[in-house]
Amino acid sequence: MTGTAATVDPLATDQTKPHRTLSDWYQDQTTLSLTAGVLGATSLSLLVIGTPILITTFGWVPSEKLAEAITSPAQGLLLWISLGLGLTGAALGWGTFRRMPNKAARETAVGGAVLGAQAVVLDVLFLWVRTGQVDVLVRQYFEFGLLADQGPRFVRAALNTLILSLAGETIGIVLGLVLAVFVLSRRRLVRAPARLYINFFRGTPLIWQLSFGWLGIVLALGLGVGPYLAAMLILGLNAGAYSAEIFRAGIESIDRGQFEAARSLGMSYGKALRHVILPQGVRRVIPPLTNEFVILIKDTSLVFILGLTFTQKELLSTARDLYAATFNATPWLAAAAGYLVITLPMIRLVRMLEERLRSGMTGIVGAQ
Amino acid sequence: MSPHDGFLRVEQVHKWFGDLHVLRGITVDVRPGEVIVLIGPSGSGKSTLLRTMNMLEEPTLGKVYFEGEDLTDVRVDLNMVRTRMGMVFQHFNLFPHKTALANVTLALETVLGLKGPDANERALQQLGDVGLQDKAGSYPSQLSGGQQQRVAIARALAMQPKLMLFDEVTSALDPELIKEVLDVMAKLASEGMTMVVVTHEMGFAREVGSRMLFMDEGLVIEEGDPREMFAEPQHPRTQEFFSQIL
Repeated sequence: MTGTAATVDPLATDQTKPHRTLSDWYQDQTTLSLTAGVLGATSLSLLVIGTPILITTFGWVPSEKLAEAITSPAQGLLLWISLGLGLTGAALGWGTFRRMPNKAARETAVGGAVLGAQAVVLDVLFLWVRTGQVDVLVRQYFEFGLLADQGPRFVRAALNTLILSLAGETIGIVLGLVLAVFVLSRRRLVRAPARLYINFFRGTPLIWQLSFGWLGIVLALGLGVGPYLAAMLILGLNAGAYSAEIFRAGIESIDRGQFEAARSLGMSYGKALRHVILPQGVRRVIPPLTNEFVILIKDTSLVFILGLTFTQKELLSTARDLYAATFNATPWLAAAAGYLVITLPMIRLVRMLEERLRSGMTGIVGAQ
Repeated sequence: MSPHDGFLRVEQVHKWFGDLHVLRGITVDVRPGEVIVLIGPSGSGKSTLLRTMNMLEEPTLGKVYFEGEDLTDVRVDLNMVRTRMGMVFQHFNLFPHKTALANVTLALETVLGLKGPDANERALQQLGDVGLQDKAGSYPSQLSGGQQQRVAIARALAMQPKLMLFDEVTSALDPELIKEVLDVMAKLASEGMTMVVVTHEMGFAREVGSRMLFMDEGLVIEEGDPREMFAEPQHPRTQEFFSQIL
């Protein structure tokens, strides 16, 4: 219908194309969507599958080979082809998806447009990177040969990261629960110190807490506590403040009627809390608490300032040590990979828990 | 009558919520076996008055006596007092993470100290009395509103209280579910339970109530036999209220 001149009676449109039947028109539409889909998919796979294959033919190590592969004319050709296909697919899909006669055709057109657009963005970024000093970047950050015999060291580092964060989270949960109950007290004398604690630990940087706690308290006082244990404790004290706020919100989200029902049956404040409020509140705080745990996992990276011994080093300290020893930044990438290996499953867990909660497993009955 | 001889006596009770004067000096005596019906327009203080009776709401001024004890005295163990007075709420307030049976047994075990089997036996019998023995294993979310409210009544009755407080217990129910709850309450009244009932169910008030109190703006304006009050309300406010709802 588009492009029809104003002088032409729109009702007569089908008579202006007598050689085309309705079924041809229908056929064209779905062919267009399929073309867009194939173009988009091809352009993206060319980039994300083609590039590694091409690099493999040159070699990933040493870095000179890798740099050579990336700057090679073949890689450039691949990128430009991918860019062209992606642009075409994106334009075609975007331009036609509204006119598709059925859901499947429409989704194919949209899919082609989206994949094509993704390829275009990545291609442009890649082409831009290739205009810089690729050999310097690759030599600094992608010297994978350096990591060859560092496997066990990084596994131990990841384990230490996990131990530190788990210990911190455990201390944090116990402490947070107690603090939350205090903060919710009717009595200001009970509330105030808990609030002070929470605000202090939430209001100062963790790195300050770690350095002051370690240098200022443990070392200066000569308490004889090792850096590993000190790290766990300080991380726990910090996590306690954050967990307390999560627990407080969880408890406050439970309908007041629950508390009143429990009290009207003769249950004390403590019994009502323990048997009625907390079991419901805890279910609700599991997703935010897990989220908090993910943050704590990453925050363990700050314990490098405590000067852990060799076997106590966690991921970031290990990367720093290796960097200092080799003046090469590739270990930083390995550390990032290590964090992702730990955090990605946790992030997925949070989403699963949130979905289960949303599906009404803990619906509060009669509370609306 | 000295307050210490009475069963339940609310004496010159005032309640302020901030600047809002909700109860303005109310005195009510409840004698054993009575079914007191509290009616009145919304915001008249009915529910607040009911909630002062088991001290869910502390009176700002005035006294509440129950079986000779002054509940406003800080030395009184309210938890023990509350085991002798049951309460049922508008929104049921069942514990959603526990089965119907566990809702009933929780306080039996944690407050009265009954052992598991004893608590279960008493709870099952109580659920049977409200017609829900076969729902013992169901969670509140699996029950209809009427069934949930009957579980809530069984939960309160299992403590074997001497007084039952009902706070608009049918207001949140679909119309067809109201009768099953009222039937349970009528049966309870016929068995001689002392009850204080805040309600909008005028049929129930007339048939089951032994005394009716009409409240408005924080005061009891008129009280008497429900049938007589419905037939010939004395106070202009009462007349106006009836003309609006009947």
